[in-house]
Amino acid sequence: MAGMTKTKRRARRAYRKERLVLLAFTVPALALYISFFIIPALQSLQYSLTNWNGYSATFDWVGLDNFTRALTNDSLFTNAVTNNLKFWLIVLAFQTLFALMLAVFLFRNFKGSALLRGLFFFPTILSSVSVAYIWKFIYDPNYGLGNDILGIFGISSSFLGNDDTAIYWIAITQVWFHAGQMMTIFIAGLQSVPQEMIEAAAVDGAGRWQVFKNVTWPMIAPATSIVMAYTTIQSFKAFDLILGLAGNPPKSSMDIMSTRIYTTFANSQYGYASAQAILFVIVIVALNFAVRRIVGLTQPKTES
Amino acid sequence: MALNNAFTRRRILQLAGVGVAGTTLAACAGPGASNGGDGDGNGNGGDGGNGGEEPGSGSLDPSLAAGAISFAHWRGEDNEAFAKIIEQLKETYPDVEVRQDITPSNDYQSNALAQIRQGTVGDLFASFRGAQLTTMIDADLLVDLTDTGIADKYEASLVSEGLVDGKTLALPYQLVFNQPITNEEILEQAGASELPEDWDSYLSLLDSIQGLGITPIAWPGGEMGNAGQLFNCMIMNLGPSDDMCARIEAGDLKVTDDWFLEMLRHYQELIPYFQQNATGTAVEPAQQMFASGDAAMLATGSYHIASTRALGATFPIGMLAPVTAAAGEAKYVGVHNATFALGVSSVSENPDTAFALLDFLSDPAIAGQYGDDTAQFVTVKDVEYTNEDLSHTSDWVQKETLLAPRFQFNNLDIRNAAEGACIEVVGGKSPEQAAEDAQQIIDQQIGN
Repeated sequence: MAGMTKTKRRARRAYRKERLVLLAFTVPALALYISFFIIPALQSLQYSLTNWNGYSATFDWVGLDNFTRALTNDSLFTNAVTNNLKFWLIVLAFQTLFALMLAVFLFRNFKGSALLRGLFFFPTILSSVSVAYIWKFIYDPNYGLGNDILGIFGISSSFLGNDDTAIYWIAITQVWFHAGQMMTIFIAGLQSVPQEMIEAAAVDGAGRWQVFKNVTWPMIAPATSIVMAYTTIQSFKAFDLILGLAGNPPKSSMDIMSTRIYTTFANSQYGYASAQAILFVIVIVALNFAVRRIVGLTQPKTES
Repeated sequence: MALNNAFTRRRILQLAGVGVAGTTLAACAGPGASNGGDGDGNGNGGDGGNGGEEPGSGSLDPSLAAGAISFAHWRGEDNEAFAKIIEQLKETYPDVEVRQDITPSNDYQSNALAQIRQGTVGDLFASFRGAQLTTMIDADLLVDLTDTGIADKYEASLVSEGLVDGKTLALPYQLVFNQPITNEEILEQAGASELPEDWDSYLSLLDSIQGLGITPIAWPGGEMGNAGQLFNCMIMNLGPSDDMCARIEAGDLKVTDDWFLEMLRHYQELIPYFQQNATGTAVEPAQQMFASGDAAMLATGSYHIASTRALGATFPIGMLAPVTAAAGEAKYVGVHNATFALGVSSVSENPDTAFALLDFLSDPAIAGQYGDDTAQFVTVKDVEYTNEDLSHTSDWVQKETLLAPRFQFNNLDIRNAAEGACIEVVGGKSPEQAAEDAQQIIDQQIGN
């Protein structure tokens, strides 16, 4: 009996030691996460309640004034939010659509499929600054390829010089940049759809569209959710692309939330910029939540 | 089972709770306290500046120069010219190593303060005249150079921005003319024997250039920073006082006032003389247009002469500012700016070496060499230039020019609103509407 207790105790000690060792593995990641994410996030929250300019030794607590200012008395901020929503909607719709179309055509293995996938994926591996410079030259109204192409149809544009359309031209660049990346997520989703389900639906007389709508689309819902969530986040973080294309600071027609926050920081309004950053996070979380709901609603209801 | 309870959910939650509480406390360190501050609990974050020592309290001795320093600036195009000077410096101070930390100008405008304050770069650093220099001074980032007497090596009238309360904190090194540069061959073909000094003769010259089938002005209206240089000239003779931009920011003047609207209407008159779709043109294509002779003027400034030469321009280059005044009424014929304000960082661990480099740059022979290599005038006294472009345009140093007014703005959003109105007018908006929209932004900024 005493021997058994001793064995149990030894086993317990060994188990506890093993758990401690396993737990120790999480420490480096946890330390980095706390240092570079949790603490800065909490500090941002604190700064957002002050009028700190980013360098001076003193500051005042201003309560929610920074948030009130951003939401009610700063047309530059509301303009950036509006631009960002336009940008997001266009990118979300077209990037998802193009990525899905490419994936539908390329998810089966055939001769040249790997090459084509690589080709469409290629823009993703470029740095955003390179992409910005490539498109900056395409959009040059006098020397750029853009007007050469439009010239075939007898029209021309000043592209980024037109305040009404500039943000949409940048959205096109963003779609070109990331559609290939989203395509790979859809391809993974499509390749996991069981072939027998598609064949069964075909045997039951379903056409190609019906098969896609009732079998494939519901089966790739998780992939769609990932694509839309990721696209949403990318659309709000298109900071370097905007600065590369539009310069720093960008004109108000191309100013989005991230560039506005940056400009506010550069303008020595650290506390106010922190409040804008917190609103930025809230907007992204809210939109991601909404997108997930929308994706859920597009799925056919399961009959019980 | 007790064995499994060693790290139960409860235990993990307890650990997480302690972690979060600790993190929260750590995060609650007051703004500005990262450099040794001691918050007083009343919203004052303590001494967040530079460890509490008064900047410049120690004396600088270039003879002690040794070790490595960083020279932070934004002039990528001057990299080679500075590298040459650094090599020469090492002949005098063999133990000195200087690394140039170059950031593109727009990013430098945004990031320099944070980077220099951390002390990782910029033992010697440059600041833009205006908002950036003001901020650097406010942040106590500049060592007081008064006792070194280095300011005596500079033209006093050009370095006043770096002299604050009797202290020499920074020395603007470059003298830039923020006005259009011209292809003199084209101007001659257009019959410009004398440079126009009123608005009507200016428009008449632009007509003549257009008659040659050449775009009169290449203007980078797609880029706020460079597009705004023209604003300097357009406003110089219209403002009710020379400090008109500072007064706009203070709320004394409004961009909806008649004089500002008149300037916007002049922009409207220039639309046919800019390249097509000018509001979408970045600075590189505008430079190319000028260098290749497709445009008679480049509406940026003398700082683009060297880069235009690098693009292959072989014609004689001059300068011509649009004078928005009737004949005989112009107060100024152009705009200058004393910028690239050099200062020794107060957080530098090697200020003697940083000062040695500054002192070396302030030598008339070295300053002249820098001017020749970069086709830029300098503010150092007794400098002789051999660069043809500088010799050719040196008469501008004596002309009646206004210190660039756009740099009077300390709030960049206000500056962008005022200058953005000009771009919007060229893009087709009415002057009244553009001014009203800009004033709304300015009012909001002033109110906060």
